[in-house]
Amino acid sequence: MKRNTPIRRLLKAASVPLCAAGAVAHSAALTQPAAGNASPPAPVYETQVRPILKAHCTHCHGEEPKPGGGVDLRLRRFMDGATKDGSRVLHPGDPGDSELIRVIREGEMPKKGKKLTAEELATLERWVQSGALVSEKEPDTLPPGPYITDEDRKFWAYQAPERKTAPKFNDSPALSAIDSFVRTRLEEHGLRFAPEAGRAVLLRRLSLDLTGLPPTPEEVASFEADKETSAYSKQVERLLASPAYGERWARHWLDVAGYSDTNGYADADSLRAHAWRYRDYVIRSLNADKPWDRFIQEQIAGDELAGVSHGKLGDAMHDKVKFDALAATGFLRLAPDGTGDAVADANLARNQNIADTVRVVSTSLLGLTVACAQCHDHRYDPITQIDYYRFRAIFDPALDWRKWRTPAQRLVSLYTQADRDKAAEIEKQAVAIEAEAKGMERRFLDELFEKKILEVPEEERDAYRAARATEKAKRTPEQEALIKKHPSALSLFGLNLYDPKADKQVQEKRAEATKLRATKPAEGMLTVVTEVSGEVPKSELHHRGDHDQLREAVTPGELAVLGGPEIQKPDPALQSSGRRLAYAQWLTSGRHPLVARVLMNRVWMHHFGRGIVNSPADFGRLGELPSHPELLDYLAVRFVESGWSLKAMHREMVLSQTYRQSSVHNESTSRDPENVWYGRFKVRRLDAETVRDSMLEVAGVLKKDMFGAPVTAARTTEGRIVAGVEVLNANGDVVKVDTSAPAVNRRSIYLQLRRKMPMTVLDTFDLPVMDPNCESRPVSTVAPQALFLMNDDFVVQTGRALAERVRNELPGDARAQVRRVWVLTQGRPPATAEEDRFLAMLSEQTESLRDYAAKHPGSKDAPPADLQRDAFGSLCQALLASNRFIHTE
Amino acid sequence: MNPNSTLCSRRHFLHSGGFGLGGLALASLLRDESLLAAPVKPLLGPESFDLKPKAAPSPGRARAMISLFMMGGPSQMDLFDPKPMLAKYHGEKFPGEVIYDNVAQASSKVFGSPWTFKKSGQSGMELSELLPNLQQVADEITLIRSMRSGVSNHLQGMLAMQTGKGTVGRPTVGAWMAYALGSETQELPAYVVLAHPSGLPTFQHQHWTNGWLPSTYQGTLVQAKAPYILNLDPPAAFAGRPQSRQMEFLKALNSGHAAEHPGEHDLQARIASYELAGKMQVAAKEALDLSGEPEHVLKLYGIDNPLTADYGRRCLTARRLVERGVRYVQVLNNGQSWDHHGSIIKSLPERCAETDRPSAALVLDLKQRGLLDSTVVHWGGEMGRLPVLQNDAGRDKWGRDHNTHGFSQWVAGGGFKGGLVFGETDEWGHKAVKDVVNHYDWHATVLHCFGFDHSKLGFIRNGGNLTLTDGQGARIVSELLA
Repeated sequence: MKRNTPIRRLLKAASVPLCAAGAVAHSAALTQPAAGNASPPAPVYETQVRPILKAHCTHCHGEEPKPGGGVDLRLRRFMDGATKDGSRVLHPGDPGDSELIRVIREGEMPKKGKKLTAEELATLERWVQSGALVSEKEPDTLPPGPYITDEDRKFWAYQAPERKTAPKFNDSPALSAIDSFVRTRLEEHGLRFAPEAGRAVLLRRLSLDLTGLPPTPEEVASFEADKETSAYSKQVERLLASPAYGERWARHWLDVAGYSDTNGYADADSLRAHAWRYRDYVIRSLNADKPWDRFIQEQIAGDELAGVSHGKLGDAMHDKVKFDALAATGFLRLAPDGTGDAVADANLARNQNIADTVRVVSTSLLGLTVACAQCHDHRYDPITQIDYYRFRAIFDPALDWRKWRTPAQRLVSLYTQADRDKAAEIEKQAVAIEAEAKGMERRFLDELFEKKILEVPEEERDAYRAARATEKAKRTPEQEALIKKHPSALSLFGLNLYDPKADKQVQEKRAEATKLRATKPAEGMLTVVTEVSGEVPKSELHHRGDHDQLREAVTPGELAVLGGPEIQKPDPALQSSGRRLAYAQWLTSGRHPLVARVLMNRVWMHHFGRGIVNSPADFGRLGELPSHPELLDYLAVRFVESGWSLKAMHREMVLSQTYRQSSVHNESTSRDPENVWYGRFKVRRLDAETVRDSMLEVAGVLKKDMFGAPVTAARTTEGRIVAGVEVLNANGDVVKVDTSAPAVNRRSIYLQLRRKMPMTVLDTFDLPVMDPNCESRPVSTVAPQALFLMNDDFVVQTGRALAERVRNELPGDARAQVRRVWVLTQGRPPATAEEDRFLAMLSEQTESLRDYAAKHPGSKDAPPADLQRDAFGSLCQALLASNRFIHTE
Repeated sequence: MNPNSTLCSRRHFLHSGGFGLGGLALASLLRDESLLAAPVKPLLGPESFDLKPKAAPSPGRARAMISLFMMGGPSQMDLFDPKPMLAKYHGEKFPGEVIYDNVAQASSKVFGSPWTFKKSGQSGMELSELLPNLQQVADEITLIRSMRSGVSNHLQGMLAMQTGKGTVGRPTVGAWMAYALGSETQELPAYVVLAHPSGLPTFQHQHWTNGWLPSTYQGTLVQAKAPYILNLDPPAAFAGRPQSRQMEFLKALNSGHAAEHPGEHDLQARIASYELAGKMQVAAKEALDLSGEPEHVLKLYGIDNPLTADYGRRCLTARRLVERGVRYVQVLNNGQSWDHHGSIIKSLPERCAETDRPSAALVLDLKQRGLLDSTVVHWGGEMGRLPVLQNDAGRDKWGRDHNTHGFSQWVAGGGFKGGLVFGETDEWGHKAVKDVVNHYDWHATVLHCFGFDHSKLGFIRNGGNLTLTDGQGARIVSELLA
């Protein structure tokens, strides 16, 4: 290493030694001394310095088995030594004589990754200069690798939530706890609550929020007419009891759970044809207000709750409670999964699926970026790589990468015995046909071979024949070499490449079997996660996240910083390891520091448009601090006390004054535009599903059947992805898409979600890509959305449907029709001037269409176009596209 | 670095200060790492994403890119990488090991190129006789003979070249560009994809996917026939006056609503987005309409000749789009029409005849307009081909199998060094051996030309900072740059 470079000398000269401070700092336990009066307090190791070193340095210097260059930076006292070439790592009071500072300043370190910022370096320099202080006595011993300090444990998110008493206000003693907490912060920022929103606005807000659908004009009218004090709470109860509630709130959970109807990962993006049973389970559970402690336990460990294991399901499929618990385990099978498709590296695909599952579980329930510790210790949060693999080990018995079960192998049949017998008979015949096809193929290949062998020099032919006849695994190296020498003569596979005609015959034979199989009774399937009874695989740390570099064995456990009991089999009678059940019980014990907070934060975010912690999947150091920590804790504690009832918490939130505020409040808009302090209800765009569902609903064409297999996604020749069925020609190309089935207008939650073929209407409005899940959706405002609303067939047709709806409801009365569409889409009747203008535009539009039709006569057989309907439809379309309609306020 | 990481603050600037440069410059200052508390902050809460122009952290020479993507894998030893050894040993057994994809038709017979090469330009770059027009612009292009992705098959090769890795679900280079730099024009999409009249390449929308970036950054497909751009036009009967009326009505509704909510900028942004859409309808038509181009330009691109007319039109369209501020244009072929497993002696000249003149014309035209310096033009596919015969069933059936271990592509403009031949494959043209340019090195170099550090330009998802090159140890191949 270079010594005494000019820059070093400069530094030395400039540094002002603080000998006294430097000397005491060495004597371990010491609180911050009073430094110079005017200067900022001297930085201390634990709070200011260690986070910087952890982010940039300790990965190599302390956390790996052998610290780089022998320098370990995990504790202040470890820095007392010298580097390999004898320089002082740290000279308290003299940054110029500290290698730690020099290597960073001169850009030697860190060797890889981001360099330190000027500010970070300055902090380190100030720290060294002011004597390299620590604030507490450092531990006497330190296990190898990373460690969790007391300072780490003090971080707010790792403390169990405490019930805080809501402040009281003399002027409104009845103010709810939520409102008291919010008002306190508002007042601190010189803000006040906005007045309450008008009833029509409020009911629309509430209805979209709780059910994803706007209220009917009749519902609004009845609410407006209700003079009782309970009028609003009656609406809350009505909407919470609506089946549409579960459909709306399931969507929020499916986002964080990463629901998709395809497997992803591989190019094929193969269908996950039975995933919808998990989706239905979520909807049912939410509608029933299933307590979330049970809901979480079922999703993490439903098989263990039901007391089953792989191949030993007993009566579980025919027991309502156990069936639900098993359906719930679909949660652990939502991550992208290429293990049933052709992938380059099967073990990688398996481990990637497990990693994604860990990601889904940890972001959804822990709100921590646990996945960052897969390859190395978390750089910012106290989550070690050991922690990661201990966490993963909870799931290892169910997701064992060495004894993997593909998606198909995790399906359990819903067949009855009679179904089974019939299917078995058909299968027997199909297998026979396939054997016949295989025989044909072999004969063709053998015939082919007799010609191909002639390409091989005569003297090698016998040997080649023998090599070909030998199973690949049993061939000698000489035989392999011979085949490699004449690769194209082999003729053992790839008949399609050699002789497409013969191959076609074989394929046709095979197709007979396929056709026959299609006559089996339809078989319902459920995706389940189970363990193999008695099998508990070894769990290891994967060095650098690589499954080919296994290191020490690990036991299952919660992240160390979160505490929690040891993972022990909760019931010796269990057929499974009990790890997930034990873990789920800890998660839902009411003592876990994060679960209830993370869930309540997310529910709050959906109601109010912004989380109390505005990084809903990251409560760690890189996340945001809570804007209202007492409120968050209050909600978390209340949630547990309520018996984990989500509906109880919705009730408390939407009944609050905070929720009922008007969206118009200048003081809040101008001084708190992002609405951090909740001084108004912030106007926001509806999410993708709600945009679509609301349009269909007011047009009167929304199909409200619940549950079941999804409506398929199809790609039109123009390139749209729509709900419908692709009609193919003989070449397998799509010639058109059949959208005639009424089911295409089902609620969006029942549309097929293909990772690689998102429906255009949803994609346009920021439908998330499930890779593997989505913790909060982005909101974009871009011109393609405008083009969509102006011109897409979906909006054009829905506008026409709306026109037709009001014409049918109010035949012959144009003015009444206009008032009706206005009320349906704008929540109020039009002013007289608006109504007159609308009618004028309507006749103008009709006229334009008539002109067009006259100039472009259609075919004689076509039914005459309904020009008035189309003209009316075009104006209805504008009402549907309007900001008032696609926003909630 | 995450160009949207301070988006909320930028949004306020833009709204409060109009679209002035002051706001943008300040926003880019805020993005500067030195002023942001380390480490990189994740995206917090629901975010907005836009296509407004954004400054790169350091000034890059390139401002736009046109990728002439040749799906299928053009044969480098017949076009760009002359190998005398192949001619010498033609028909004899290949001495080394060959990595085949199609074993049934595999043969180990050396296949010497049936075409001759010519030293072209001042630089003496050797190019095939199949590319007579490219020979004319040899001094403008950089020829890389040592490309390598090492993955097998078309899909993985395409994904590696377009998204940085051979796995599905990642954003394409164009999506990264749109995300990182936005668009110079708000009247046209930032990322445009020009499709072949007979259809899309094999993997369809994966060629222009936004992956996990917000859908705003997806490529906009322009088909060669009506309706050109999805949803650009209303149903025919509504074109013109009826749609204008409809939009006036909508604007009145939205203005009334916005007036009730003073200070809610999202509502104003939505109103503005309709204006942009309206402008886009006009601007896109104008950009796609070549009728105003003078005769000599049409001729230059070969639009007067049926053989080159389609590709010429699309190359010219690409130039017009870049001229109007579009950030990234991808010109596609259909299927994988460069995938010459057989009949290469007939088919390869056909593909070249269609594309050679227009491709060279694009370089020349951009140069003449002073646009080449700021526009990267890329010509290449997802792989190359093997030095041995495939389908040894008569000369007219000969072909070559896939090769991702060594192949060629050329690039021009945007800071690349003209007249340079870079890298080498082995003496047979099978594997890149000298100055290997992996797909990720290529990406790192391209981002560098635009002023970005490939290891920093990232998108935060689930706590991780994902990048185009994602930890593959990419290097900026500075030798390629002028």
